Amino acid sequence: MNNKIYTLLLAMGLTILASCEKDTPRYLPYEGYAFTELDENGGDWTPVLLDAGDAIDINAPDATDSQAYQDELDAAKTAMLGMTSEQRNAVKYWTNNPTVRWNEIALELIAKYNLIPGPNADGTYTLPNPANPEGPPAFPFAHPPYACRALAYMSVAQFDGLISAWHYKYQYNRAAPYQVDESIKYAYEENDIPSYPSDGAVIARASRNILTAMFPLEAEYLQNLEEEHLESLILSGGNVQSDITAGVTIGDAVSAMGLSRASNDGMKNAQTPKAVSDSIKQAALDRFGWAWDNLEIPERPVGLTPFFSKVTMWSIDDVESVRPIPPPALDSQEFLDDVEVLKDHARNMTDEKRRIANFWQDGLGTYTPPGHWNRIANEFIVEYRLNPLQTARTLAYMNMAIMDGGISCWDAKYYYHYPRPIQLIEGFETIAGTPNFPSYTSGHSVFSAAASEVLAYIFPEEASTVRAWAEEAAVSRVYGGIHWSFDATVGTDQGREVAQYTIDRARADGADN
Amino acid sequence: MIQTKNVCKPIRRHKIGFFGTCTFLLQVLLYVAPTASLEAQTPSDALMMPSKNICVLFAYDMGSFDRYWEGDYLRSNETIATVDRNTVLPMAAIGILDDLNFYIALPFIRTESSEPNGGKFTGARGFQDLGLAVKYRAIQETVVNGELTAFATASFSTPFTNYLSDYMPYSIGSGAPEFALRAISQYQWNNGFYIRGSIAHLWRGYTEAERDYYYADGSYYTAWMDVPNAWTYDGVVGKWLFDYSLKLEFSYTGLASTSGDDIRAYNAAQPTNRVKFDRIGFSAQYYFKSLKGLGVVAYHNRIIDGRNMAKLSNTGFGVTYQFNPFKKSIQVEENEQ
Repeated sequence: MNNKIYTLLLAMGLTILASCEKDTPRYLPYEGYAFTELDENGGDWTPVLLDAGDAIDINAPDATDSQAYQDELDAAKTAMLGMTSEQRNAVKYWTNNPTVRWNEIALELIAKYNLIPGPNADGTYTLPNPANPEGPPAFPFAHPPYACRALAYMSVAQFDGLISAWHYKYQYNRAAPYQVDESIKYAYEENDIPSYPSDGAVIARASRNILTAMFPLEAEYLQNLEEEHLESLILSGGNVQSDITAGVTIGDAVSAMGLSRASNDGMKNAQTPKAVSDSIKQAALDRFGWAWDNLEIPERPVGLTPFFSKVTMWSIDDVESVRPIPPPALDSQEFLDDVEVLKDHARNMTDEKRRIANFWQDGLGTYTPPGHWNRIANEFIVEYRLNPLQTARTLAYMNMAIMDGGISCWDAKYYYHYPRPIQLIEGFETIAGTPNFPSYTSGHSVFSAAASEVLAYIFPEEASTVRAWAEEAAVSRVYGGIHWSFDATVGTDQGREVAQYTIDRARADGADN
Repeated sequence: MIQTKNVCKPIRRHKIGFFGTCTFLLQVLLYVAPTASLEAQTPSDALMMPSKNICVLFAYDMGSFDRYWEGDYLRSNETIATVDRNTVLPMAAIGILDDLNFYIALPFIRTESSEPNGGKFTGARGFQDLGLAVKYRAIQETVVNGELTAFATASFSTPFTNYLSDYMPYSIGSGAPEFALRAISQYQWNNGFYIRGSIAHLWRGYTEAERDYYYADGSYYTAWMDVPNAWTYDGVVGKWLFDYSLKLEFSYTGLASTSGDDIRAYNAAQPTNRVKFDRIGFSAQYYFKSLKGLGVVAYHNRIIDGRNMAKLSNTGFGVTYQFNPFKKSIQVEENEQ
């Protein structure tokens, strides 16, 4: 009887202990999966920066019955026989759709570097400097404009690289090692995609190169990741060394093309000197009779990236062509009504409004709103079992639309230079942090609307869901007390309109045929 | 940290004389922004109330800080300016047996920044964590010139409301359940002078944020934040004065998390942070001979060194009242003098 009681108590104790342990995943918990489609004609799709899928020259590979190939196969088999448990875990981690993994690595670096520089002892601020990345402050400050741009260049390079890889895969049609040699067991679900050039190697090299340029202090970390990834491609049974070499060649070419565009896209002038910033502010004051002020202590002399609006867009020629209507005048009834709306939210903060404000806050130290939408996209990509090419296409168009949305939003922000609620409502306090740039329109609203439109195009079954999320992300800023209602609603319309240009481009790239 | 020690009513015990029995040394679970500084809600003094007695405490604590340690770098931050943290603390101790006491507490906390501040964040307020504890006296021996006692306490606390822990530096608590075991030993000389030491381990659970991604030396794709476990230890020297009606104490308290990340540059703290601190304090407790069962307590503590911790100073005042609901008058143990 006593034993039973002890056993029962022990079982209860263990249950309580076990229920205390929570799963805290470090990355999206998926392993390799079977792709719903192979997109054999993907090499004919229209790339973003490359002229076409055959623009990068890749030589024909050795035939599978050649001695050279057999030697590579033997080397791969030997390596697989001696796999350590660490290597096995790496193969499991990278999966057969590693674009999602590299996207997560980018999100992690964004969160790591999304730290706003604090003031110096004398009240001045030092800006991160790419010529001296160690700082302090460290370079970069991965704020939302920086983040969306890094993600766009990485995703575009991945997409162009995989179109090129797909072109040669189906031109040369070299079978994968596990199909050539029955003794090789593929680590993932088998498919009929030819293995030369390796799509995984394209992704590894293109991602590593773009991210190294965007996060120079992480060069060694990224190199180690790339090495682990490339090794896992062979250890998975999916590639031999010449597949990797050809893939790396493509990765180098597409990333060089992307970085060449990035170096001249205007971003390096986005953070203007104070004199320019002051003249932008004066222009708004002259034009509208209002101007946004930074209320931090000590005051920041320049808002965040006033000339992000001048960065080259992906799918729109003239940023002013998508500029939203002006915000309400400060003596208009619409404005006065909105003051009451904000005061009411602050006075009657409910659990639900607080939850929404925090869920979509994506503030300093996090992966930013563009990062949040990449995370959402990654989850859909795995759920819908997209192949690597479809994955890269989804992320490329989404991040192009997000970046175009950001550029358009920043155009509105500094053209209208509209004050934040804490500036215009006496004694107003917020539950979210007020950012260092003008209010109208809301960045969250534009980023989220743009992202959700592309996701609605790629995943039509999810259209109403993602659009509702975008609207929730938009209003979250109003609940947070840092945006006016019209910042959010006009920003949502703006994001949807801007995204349409990229979606039109996507519809014409050949993938929907 | 609120550290309230109070004496309701003295009793005579053994040769040593009077003890205040209605006494808490209850360290309120505290989440001092901008860091997770949590301390056990563990009775850690060396006094017991007799069976069937109840002692209630009502205390007000005023804490504030204008600097904090970001990692081990002590800094100020005009975004939050000076953060005030005021607490109303009702507590009760119940003597189940002479050697076994039960404690219950529920603090109400309010936080806000001083004006002007650069962040314009709203503060937070609400009931924090319900704390329950039992204290058992394992050893009580008369030794040369005095008395040696040893105690064990077990405590548990859990959030009483859905306050948001992930709202540093204004959040009112860690938002996580906590279980703690503490060992206490005291040596008291016959002249009323005593020394005491205790050590405790704090097991903290998880707190749920309202976002499902956070960075803590890497990505976490979950709303659950692991609040680090910790060791805490203290040392006290004290003296009874005026025929055991006044007790004065100097204390040192240390706390060290066993895991966690550092606050990042100019960034908000979060519940996953590794917290360390050293704190010194002084307290005075007085019980009235003329007003049966009534006592008052006042104390001041300050943190002198830390990591991912606010450089908090706090001052508190409290009133205690001891009574025996089963008898008409308060039980006073009369032992041989």
